[in-house]
Amino acid sequence: MTSIGTGYDLSASTYSPDGRIFQVEYANKAVENSGTAIGLRVKDGVVLAVEKLVHSKLLVPGANRRIQTIDRHIGMATAGLLADGRNISNRARSESASIRKTWSEQPTVNAISNRIALYAQVYTLYSSVRPFGISTIFAGIDKNGPSLYVVEPSGVCLGYHGAAIGKGRQLAKTELEKLNLSELSTREAVMEAARIIYLVHDDNKEKEFELEMSWIGDETNGLHVPVPADLLTEADRKAKEALENFE
Amino acid sequence: MFRNTYDSDNTVFSPQGRLHQVEYALEAVKQGSAAVGLRSKTHAILLALKRSTGELASYQQKMFRIDDHVGIAIAGLTSDARVLSNFMRQQALSDRMVFNRPTPVNRLVSALADKAQVNTQDYGRRPYGVGFLVIGQDQTGPHLFEFSPSGNSYEYFAMSIGARSQSAKTYLEKHYESFTDCTLEELIKHGLHALRETLQQDKELNVNNTSISITGPSGLHEKPVSPLGKFRIVEGDAVKVYLESMDEKVTDEAPASVPPAVAADEDVQMSG
Amino acid sequence: MDHFPTNWGRPRNDAVDVYGTHPIHSRPNNHPKDAFADGVQRTQQPIVTGTSVLAIKYKDGIMMAADNLASYGSLARFKDIQRLHPVGQYTVIGAGGDMSDFQYIQRILEELSVDEIAAQDGHELGPVEIHEYMSQVMYARRSKINPLWNSLIIGGFKDGKRFLSYVDLLGTTYSASTLATGYGSYIALPLLRKAVEGYEDALTEEQARKIIQESMRVLFYRDARSLNKYQIATITAAGVWVSDSLHLETSWDFAEDIRGYGAQTQ
Repeated sequence: MTSIGTGYDLSASTYSPDGRIFQVEYANKAVENSGTAIGLRVKDGVVLAVEKLVHSKLLVPGANRRIQTIDRHIGMATAGLLADGRNISNRARSESASIRKTWSEQPTVNAISNRIALYAQVYTLYSSVRPFGISTIFAGIDKNGPSLYVVEPSGVCLGYHGAAIGKGRQLAKTELEKLNLSELSTREAVMEAARIIYLVHDDNKEKEFELEMSWIGDETNGLHVPVPADLLTEADRKAKEALENFE
Repeated sequence: MFRNTYDSDNTVFSPQGRLHQVEYALEAVKQGSAAVGLRSKTHAILLALKRSTGELASYQQKMFRIDDHVGIAIAGLTSDARVLSNFMRQQALSDRMVFNRPTPVNRLVSALADKAQVNTQDYGRRPYGVGFLVIGQDQTGPHLFEFSPSGNSYEYFAMSIGARSQSAKTYLEKHYESFTDCTLEELIKHGLHALRETLQQDKELNVNNTSISITGPSGLHEKPVSPLGKFRIVEGDAVKVYLESMDEKVTDEAPASVPPAVAADEDVQMSG
Repeated sequence: MDHFPTNWGRPRNDAVDVYGTHPIHSRPNNHPKDAFADGVQRTQQPIVTGTSVLAIKYKDGIMMAADNLASYGSLARFKDIQRLHPVGQYTVIGAGGDMSDFQYIQRILEELSVDEIAAQDGHELGPVEIHEYMSQVMYARRSKINPLWNSLIIGGFKDGKRFLSYVDLLGTTYSASTLATGYGSYIALPLLRKAVEGYEDALTEEQARKIIQESMRVLFYRDARSLNKYQIATITAAGVWVSDSLHLETSWDFAEDIRGYGAQTQ
């Protein structure tokens, strides 16, 4: 059944006759139009990487981050409407703070992701709001070890070994499936993540992009931090090389 | 009446995942006269074109001081700007009071953007109809940010917003690499050249319609400022010396063509 | 005497008042009966307490010390309490007074630190900002007549600058090159002043450590709520460092000559 023109797609509080909520599907469209973001959960850590599309050369490189820190040990990357991503990250920070306050321990990535999923779900219920136009990858290390979750506009939250959202997610997922994620080291994962981002970027169609990466592992003392400049440069270089060989 | 079914309020996504009301709000920014911002490694400056409704009317206010270290230039609905600048002042004052520090400029702009984001998601409100260029100096040096009603904020080397800002942007993109090492006077000159690009055919910059604001050490034509490098607005006769420093405009036979807006279907950036 | 004129000259009958003659304001039970009826009593004294904190400026930065004791009244209740708390990479906060209030302070500072880290934008809270923040917290609480019962010393080193300042349960703040809280402000402060003032830029870490150690020793001799187990913190350009627990060597030989001590009875 088509959505457009039927009137069933004008509000998040309306089902179509075949049981779909078109507003949520449209929100997913906003995600699909955005630069790719991927997450890799490996042996001893987690890596996030983002294809940050650069819409103007006047932008300051390195500023305007799309990967955010939620707590010492949890990071997140978004694809979709950037401003919605900031809303989610603020919410995630306060959820994390409240869990920390109540239980006096590090919140788990699972707990944060599920709370955010509930938050996102509420925005699919009412006509007075619109769903979030973003998917979010949460990554971190907690008492359960390395964790990776994705929250979608519908409020669905799932755990992953490797996750991809945004424009190039199909190709990225294919590449992630080729990797033996549970055997990789975090450092190796950084290289692979960079390679995948370069691979899924469509040179012909899109503007320039900046590779943005963060990681959490033994090397970072369990803290979520940006990948250090020298490692990022190396990953960048290797990714470009791999791309040339690929073609 | 409406251009399409999906543009009447901001709680509705179009089938392409776009928010038309937000995009229209971005149009409101383009109705305002232009503002230009530039940054060197020592200074961040703003320049703006003031409009006047008639011979007997005064010129509009385009720039607002937020704190000693932060200021803004606006394009769009002035009344929205006054509300938002008030919000920024409160944020800045609260950081002064609670932590005794000048509020980090990026956090100030982010807080503003977060506030604007809510108006793109909840029913019964409209997105703000004003864009800001924000300059400021903090522990990490001089900064220039753009804030837009979509709830986005970006840091730039140089940027322009408002009517015909694309022409100014073209100028800035051509020269921005040299801005880093500019003196204040050179930076202002570049800014004026960029601002000039936004003028209508028969208009020119003069002491009445040009506003300049600065953060950073005092320049050759200024009295020493205190506290060091604080935000100040230069208007009226004080602008003269800078206007006189400008080079003659090289008039091409063909006026700089304004590239069309980005193809609509891939636009999720929602930045003007 | 009954001061309500409406009561004058009327028959008094609290049980039966058929004609409603009894004045409203003196009817029985005509007053609020909530938890606030008798007024609210807030913290009047600290319960589990820490004693002195000492801090001095020296050549490379700030040195601070506090013992490991938390007393319950005169009882030496907990002997492994750390009263020097690092906040971020540039600051140490030392606390005397109520230890549960101090633990609360540690929690709010932890929350603040996480917020600060999450921003990841190159801005960090230094000792100046943390001191300002704590003084606002302490003053706000005292203005609610519900103070956090502590005296805090905040020391730090950031951007090449030493910082040492004090704030207490009243929200009072002051700075000096030597600071002490509690009993230390009577007993140790004169010693610290004599040893440090004028020599802030000359004292080596070793000298500073000696001054601190001597003062801690004097305090242990004189202060009945102190312990011979303590920690030292330094905050320098290299960052924050808090020592393991140190033991104070003391000699009690002289006690034998004191009247009323031990076996001696007169």
